[in-house]
Amino acid sequence: MQNSVSVSDDLHHQPAAKRAPGSRKAAGRALVLLASLGFALVVLIQVLHTTGATGAGFSDWRPILIAYLVWAVAFGVGRVLTRGERGQRALFLLPAVFFTVAVVIFPTIFGIYIASLDWNLSSIEGPRFSGFDNLRGMLNDTYYWNALGNMVFYTVAVLGEYAIAFGLALLLSAEIRARKFFRVVFLLPMMLSPVAVSWMIGKSLLEYRFGPAATLARYLGWDNPAFFASPWMARFSIQAMDAWVSIPFIMIILLAGLQAMPKEVQEAAKVDGANGWQSFWHVTFPIMLPVSITVLIIRIIFKLKLADIVINVTAGGPGGATDTVSSFIYRVYRDRSNVGYGTALAMVYLLLIIVLLTLMLRLSKRWTQKVV
Amino acid sequence: MKQQDYDWLSALHANRRTVLKGAASAAALGASGALGTFSEIALAQNNLRAQIGQIPGVGKGAPTDADWQKVGELCLGPTKASIKEGEFKGVELSFMGLNNQNLHNLLFRGFLKPWEAYTGAKISWIDLAQADYNPRLQQAIATGTVDFDILEMGAPFEGDVCGKGLASEMPDWVKKQIDIDDYVDYLKPPVGTWNGKTYRVTIDGDCHNFNYRTDVFSDPALAKAWKDAGNASEWGVPKTWQQVQAVTKFLKGQKFKGQNVYGYLDAPKPWGGFGFYFLGSRATAYAKHPDDKAWLFDVDTMKPRINNPAWVRAIQDVIDALPSEPADQLNADPNTTGFQQFLAGIGSMIPWWGDIGQVAKASDTSVIGDTVGFDILPGSDDVYNSKTGKWEKLPSGPNHAPNCAYLGWGIYVMARVNGDEKKHKAAWSAAAHLGGKDLSFWMVLYPSGFQAHRTSHFQYDEWVAAGYDRKYITSYLNSQIGSYNHPNRAVEPRIPGIFQYYSIAEDELTKIFAGKVDPQTGANNIAAAWEKLTDQIGRERQIGLYKASLGV
Repeated sequence: MQNSVSVSDDLHHQPAAKRAPGSRKAAGRALVLLASLGFALVVLIQVLHTTGATGAGFSDWRPILIAYLVWAVAFGVGRVLTRGERGQRALFLLPAVFFTVAVVIFPTIFGIYIASLDWNLSSIEGPRFSGFDNLRGMLNDTYYWNALGNMVFYTVAVLGEYAIAFGLALLLSAEIRARKFFRVVFLLPMMLSPVAVSWMIGKSLLEYRFGPAATLARYLGWDNPAFFASPWMARFSIQAMDAWVSIPFIMIILLAGLQAMPKEVQEAAKVDGANGWQSFWHVTFPIMLPVSITVLIIRIIFKLKLADIVINVTAGGPGGATDTVSSFIYRVYRDRSNVGYGTALAMVYLLLIIVLLTLMLRLSKRWTQKVV
Repeated sequence: MKQQDYDWLSALHANRRTVLKGAASAAALGASGALGTFSEIALAQNNLRAQIGQIPGVGKGAPTDADWQKVGELCLGPTKASIKEGEFKGVELSFMGLNNQNLHNLLFRGFLKPWEAYTGAKISWIDLAQADYNPRLQQAIATGTVDFDILEMGAPFEGDVCGKGLASEMPDWVKKQIDIDDYVDYLKPPVGTWNGKTYRVTIDGDCHNFNYRTDVFSDPALAKAWKDAGNASEWGVPKTWQQVQAVTKFLKGQKFKGQNVYGYLDAPKPWGGFGFYFLGSRATAYAKHPDDKAWLFDVDTMKPRINNPAWVRAIQDVIDALPSEPADQLNADPNTTGFQQFLAGIGSMIPWWGDIGQVAKASDTSVIGDTVGFDILPGSDDVYNSKTGKWEKLPSGPNHAPNCAYLGWGIYVMARVNGDEKKHKAAWSAAAHLGGKDLSFWMVLYPSGFQAHRTSHFQYDEWVAAGYDRKYITSYLNSQIGSYNHPNRAVEPRIPGIFQYYSIAEDELTKIFAGKVDPQTGANNIAAAWEKLTDQIGRERQIGLYKASLGV
């Protein structure tokens, strides 16, 4: 026993990390300080040059990248010098830090910078610093607010998609005939690209003159089955197309959740005399809540990016009725070449999404705790 | 040109008699040897044009890649005269252009294959959808990432490209090879030039003409119904926008050959900025006064005119006509109206570029080949005078102002080849081949995305020899030359960012057409946004370029 204890002690024994001597520490700190100052100076020069405050500067942003890499290496070496062995351990984090800075932090900072510019690609003067002008413009932009309003409709519609998907998942988890066949069939729309769906459904199936849906609608007595001519009809048509592609995704996640659910729980509910609805509402649904919330959040993130179907089928029309924030930003960039303003819109939208999802996560956590 | 001179010239339009007289004279001169070697060259060229005109032959189905290659091979003469075989071996060129309607770049590939085989150069292709063209080009310019050596581009972008020194100046040998003096007058400088230097090999001439269904407007049953509806005028092709409106409203609910018949087709759905031209075609007769070259902006201030009574009336016309058009018309862009509606037999009037006339006769996709007529755009009983702020009736009758929208596509060589002599020569040789006199003739005969743009394209007999019906082609070509040479033509402003102006307008127009805002408010919104854009791009510079584009 004593032996085993000592073995276990050995296993958990952490030898004290060797500390760096004082001279090394000073050298390390100096290195980090110098590299940081150099990096800050390069950034400052470039910002002043770009905003027109000074003539001196670099022709492009490449020196910033080089300065960043130099700083990162100096920082790593500095950590090792100041912290000895513990600093060496920190080196293992460097690749992840590099990656995060390169693909998250730098683009975000760069995006904020571009958002502060008055930059139209046709302007002979090129980018000009304009501070918060783009944000002020956004507040007065009826198109942006209209698109945000539409996003409320599209986002709320996710609940409908979820309800349908849950129904299908329940159906496919039950012992029905040809279950495997139906699982494959129901998943097929998910395999399609939204652009293909735009053409297959929006421009063929729902086409006003020769589309089968329009022909059927006429047969049933609707004289002018124009699916994209009136604002609400167009909105619902776009939503239906997007739902058709997305419901299988929600369904397959929910199906996985249902199949992971222990059967004994439902059997116990049956023994207690619960009918089908009670069994679903008081047993299945609460147990499925964590899965449901996860899939809803993922789906809402995808929904907030909705653009391709809108761009291809209605171009945001009629009268902006189907416009989404993404399709509007796309037009600001693509057709108006307004890079600064487009970036400002995108950054604000990103912020809105982060706030919305944070709220959703908190609320869902509370709700799950209350229900389960 | 004065109006009366123009009317006199119009009366001289080529007909069978005058063409035959001219041909007989030429033949007599040739036979007598009076023209010497020149007559032999001319005869050889005529033979070549006759030969390529038969590939595949009008009415014999749409041309294929094999046809394009064949034509490219036959038209290699000028290249062989100036370039040795294999001279460009090892040269690689990148070409950026459109793939709209599976034309443009797809044709160029075929035409240039024999050129590649002969010269040894290799071309890689960047294909763009029409709506993606402007952003792709603008991004390449702004970010300094021009990744193409040859560019298919429209004159409206010359301010963005040539104005920034990104294009290569055309060498003299190219001017000679393509016979640059053969271009119709309105496509001669300043179009294709910048600061006095020539940059463009023109391969297209653009204007919107008026396409209509001859069978609809000669139908006795519709004529009777028209009279029965209390109309005093005879049933026929509208000559003014006022008549277009009346006919469109009348046709609502009428039947023709057992089907619902529609009148004018509007294109309210945005199309990457290009859709604005179609409102422009409705507006020019109202907004372009014969005494004023400007019609989109005030020439001295760049103040937009889009919210003046003329433009607002044009917008109101669309709103008034839409209930009489197909139910889903709000969701129709110009591609839809041209290729999915009019050529498919829906609607009886449409403004479009010359593609409609080519495709109607020489493509498998059309069902209306024998029943299309052409004219210059309708006029208006009155015209708005921006200087006096009043509507006027002209003593000469209705005001016509053909919309010379876009000024056509051209081939441009980028400045990035200037440092490499071999590459420079290769790029210009490819451009010259595509813009060659004979090859261009084939391109305007058949579906290509391009319409007549050379004086030599208006030899009606050549079209008839290729298989076009004389009446049809006379109507088609007269509608184009009548627009190009019209003294009151409305010319495209060649100013940087023009498609941004158009795109902003498209967005606001969809709101107006959907009934969200009234025409005047919507037009005011467009004007305000245009003012902002002008300030953003640079007002003084825009004024200068706008004046230059109008020749003021």
